[in-house]
Order: sequence, then structure tokens, then C-alpha cells
Amino acid sequence: MILALETSCDDTCAAVLTPEGVIRSNVISSQGVHDQFGGVVPEVASRQHLQLVNAVVDDALTTAQTTLDDLTLVAVTQGPGLVGALLVGVATAKAIASVRGLPLAPVDHLQGHVAASFLPGVDAEGTGHTPPLEPPFTCLVASGGHTFLAHVGDHASFDVLGRTLDDAAGEAFDKGARLLGLPYPGGPHLERLAADGDPEAFGFPVSDQLAGYDFSFSGLKTALLYKLRDLSDAEAGARRADLAASFQRAIVEALARRVERAVLTTGAERVSIGGGVAANGALRARLAGVAGHLHIPPRALCTDNAAMIGAAARHVSALEPGEYDDLDAYPTGRRDL
Amino acid sequence: MIVLAFDTATADTAVGLATGGAAARTARHTPASGERPGHVAQLLGLARGLLAEAGIGWAEVERLGVGTGPGSFTGLRIGVATARALAQAGGQELVGVSTLEALARGVASAPDVAAAPGRGVDPTVLACLDARRGEAFVGAWRGDALVFPPRAVVPEALAGLLAGRGAWRAAGDGSVRFRAQLEAAGAHVPPDDSALHHVSGARLCELALEASPAGHDTLEPEYVRAPDAVPKHLR
Ligand SMILES: [Zn+2]
Repeated sequence: MILALETSCDDTCAAVLTPEGVIRSNVISSQGVHDQFGGVVPEVASRQHLQLVNAVVDDALTTAQTTLDDLTLVAVTQGPGLVGALLVGVATAKAIASVRGLPLAPVDHLQGHVAASFLPGVDAEGTGHTPPLEPPFTCLVASGGHTFLAHVGDHASFDVLGRTLDDAAGEAFDKGARLLGLPYPGGPHLERLAADGDPEAFGFPVSDQLAGYDFSFSGLKTALLYKLRDLSDAEAGARRADLAASFQRAIVEALARRVERAVLTTGAERVSIGGGVAANGALRARLAGVAGHLHIPPRALCTDNAAMIGAAARHVSALEPGEYDDLDAYPTGRRDL
Repeated sequence: MIVLAFDTATADTAVGLATGGAAARTARHTPASGERPGHVAQLLGLARGLLAEAGIGWAEVERLGVGTGPGSFTGLRIGVATARALAQAGGQELVGVSTLEALARGVASAPDVAAAPGRGVDPTVLACLDARRGEAFVGAWRGDALVFPPRAVVPEALAGLLAGRGAWRAAGDGSVRFRAQLEAAGAHVPPDDSALHHVSGARLCELALEASPAGHDTLEPEYVRAPDAVPKHLR
């Protein structure tokens, strides 16, 4: 059995997978303590990870109906992410593997989001299962921390086609939500508000002027800010759902048009999505027809989770005991896309 | 009882292994000046090295001791997370020990203190770590007795803490940093390069033997200071 740990941001995650990559448990302990601060506080997140991590591991083992005795591999997110948060997972995984004499697979968090597509997905209705996706495919990963489009040629790596030049898509959702007076985390709140609005009511920029596959979302936030200034308080209040729907549409269009461009240019027949923003219903609907096959991971595999780290670990060369004593975490920004 | 104890609350990574009888084996990594602490990269290797020297494996370790600070938040978490996970997966007893008490214990058992006039009377020891942001983490012991518990103070407050309590000795990187204030308040501070300013693996093992076991999912660092609760994107 593979035990995987993921602590790169504010979710404390552990999962157990079979050596063949079948998920036996996927435990996600969302901290919730950050809502009151309107964002993730790194030191608060790190403290919470340490409080929760051993219980989350126990929970993952129990749910998988297995024990530490059955483990053959320990996997852990090495980076990128909040380094203090990552270190809790890295120190924990190293210690478990070391005392048990097990190999350890350090996994890149972004490779993990790609590897979520190596696990079964859901159909368009979100009810039935679809088989795991095999490379090659085109993958869009969009979350609060990262947004990129990649060509996935094999199980162990990916080639970046384009990336965000400023804010991540999830960050844009959060910033838009804050401007609209919605609580943190903004993405799900904004999606709910947008459901009652007209996405065509306001024309927000979709960074079409950018050639290639890169993204930019900072101008979108500014456009919403100016729009809110132009409207009277009463009008802005009355049209919040329209503003949310139009804002969401701009993010979805920016993402979808790059995917379409990639499909047309590279002839990719299969597309997958990942990251927290891939849980967005409007994005899923918009992408449904862009390629011959769209792979959609279940929501629990889109947001940060340890099952995707375990899935990626199956294709990483693991370090043997004694080889990972000095393994360190790496922060956001060190790994250039 | 075979005890492995370590501390990562200061810039050092300090490890001790006591197998009963002879003196504890110790190992320490101290970063060069300007170098970042090497806690996560050093800890397991230093521990494995001591186990190999003693010719034993993880399975023979019966108790794990870990310094709970106060000190560097990230350093503390690396030590405590490692200890908790080793205990969880290895089945050892787990105990937390105070980093500051380990420092104080080091001074109390130093040969020059034991040989000093009036020996038999334990000196009062202020353990003092640089807490950054112009503060120090301090705690004081006389022998095994706690004089005052760990706290974060500004250096100007040190004189008030020491006043009227007789002769003091101070140790820890904070005593070096705030030497002027401590000496002005009447404390004796060992030379900057003294080993007494570093946590000793042997003292950690001693304290670990005296402590009561904690749960592998409940032992927490002694942070002393609250986190700065300002989200990343608002800074
Ligand atoms: Zn992520």
C-alpha cells in the first residue's frame, strides 16, 4: 500500500492507494480557521497541520482498512507551496518511512494535480465513473495557487504550454468575491451567486490580446472594481448576481479559449482539468465540447488532496532509506514553469 | 531505558542518544554564520548516525524526547513533527522537554559551576534565546526548580526580571545577543563561543528520562507567541 501526505497549503491530507493506484482512502481535513482572516495565514496553517497530521494519517489507514505494516511506499508533497506547511508533511513522511525502513517518493504538487487524471473521473452529470486517463493529453490546472496549461506526454512529467502571468484563476475568483462582499473562500460563494445572474450582462476582459497559451487575470479584478465604482450603491446591490455571473464568465472564457486554442493547434484529442477551479460547474459545462474527450476528476480530486500525490508517486523514482535523510521542501516560486 | 532526544528550536540541530550506563552520545549541526538552519536536512541523518555508532536500530529505541521550545516556529515544528511521526510509526514513548530547561541544565552541570565557591548551592540560570523582532525567549531555573516559566520579553525587561534575586548565570544565543543588558543587570554570561550557549543532546536525554509520556497526536510545541494573523495576500 502507498501512504501519501499533502500539506502544501491549508488542507491537511492523507490517502492510501494500492500499488496499482486504486484509492482506498482520501482524507482531507480542511482547516476552516482561515475564513475569519479572509485568507490563508501561513503560520496558522502550519500550526494546524501539526495538530492534525497524525490523526489524519490514522484516519486514512483506518478508512483503508489497512495498517502501517502493509505499507510499501510513503509519498509526500515536496513543493511548491507554503514552506512552513510543507515541512510538517515532509518531516512526518520522512520519519514514518525511516522508522519503518520504507522507500519515500517526493512528489511535485503540480505533477500531483496532473496525476489526478490518472485516477477515475466522473461523467458530465457527475454521477457515473469514467476510466483513468492515459497520456498523451492536454491538461488545464487552475486553482488558488497555480494556473497553467500543459501537454502531458507521459506519466512522470508535463510540458507547460502556458501559465498565468499574474494572479491564479482561483485567486481571481477570491478577489472578485471580496469586491462583491462575499466571504472567504470566494470561489464557491461567487459560483452560487452567479447561478442567479446573467453572464452576458457585463463585458469583462478575457485577456484575448495575449497570444499563445498564457493567462492574465489582474486586469479582470480592476475591471470589476471600476464597474462597481461606476454603479450606484443601489444598482450594484441589485445587480450583484449579474456582476458575479459576468465575472465568472470572463474567467471561464479566458481558461476555455486557451484550451480551445491548444486543441486546434496541437490536435489534442483528449483534455483533462484539475485544481480547485476545475470544480466550477460553469467551467465544466463550457469545456464539455472542446475536445473529443474531456476527463473530469471528481471534486475531491480537483481541490488539494493526497490521493493525487499517491497517484503521481507511482511514476516517481522513490528514494531508499538513508537516501532521503536530507530531503527538504521547496517553496512556491522555486520551480519555474 | 534507551532514549533518543533531539531539539530544533534554535539554529542548531542537537541530538542525543542515551543507552544507559555510559554518557549519552551526542551530535550537533550548527549552521555557519549567515547560513540557514539545517533542521529538516540534518535531523534524521544525525539520529541515524548515533544509532549506527551505538550499533542499534530504531526498533530498540524505547523513548523519544523532543525539545518543545520556545524557539523558531518552523524549527520547532520540524522537530515535533518528526518525533510525533517516529512515535506513531515506531511505537516509542514520546515526551516533550523544554528547550530552555535543557539550556539551563547545561549551565547548572557545567564543571566551572560545579567547582565554583559555594558549590552545592545551585545557581539561578536564565535560559535566553534570540526570539527575533528585538525580543528574547526566557525562562529561569534553580536546579530542577522553575523560577519563572518561558515567555517572550523585550531586552529592557531583563533587568527587572533579574533584580533582587541574587547571582545569575545566563546561557543561550539570546544571552550572547543581549549580553550588554544581561551583564548590566548583574548576570554572568559565558564567552560567546562557549558550548553552554547550545542545547546539549545529553541534557535533552536526561530531561526526557524524567518527563512523563505524551500522546503522539497531542504533543505540541510551546510557541509562547501567537501567529501574526495577517493573510498572505494582504501583506
Ligand atoms: Zn494545488
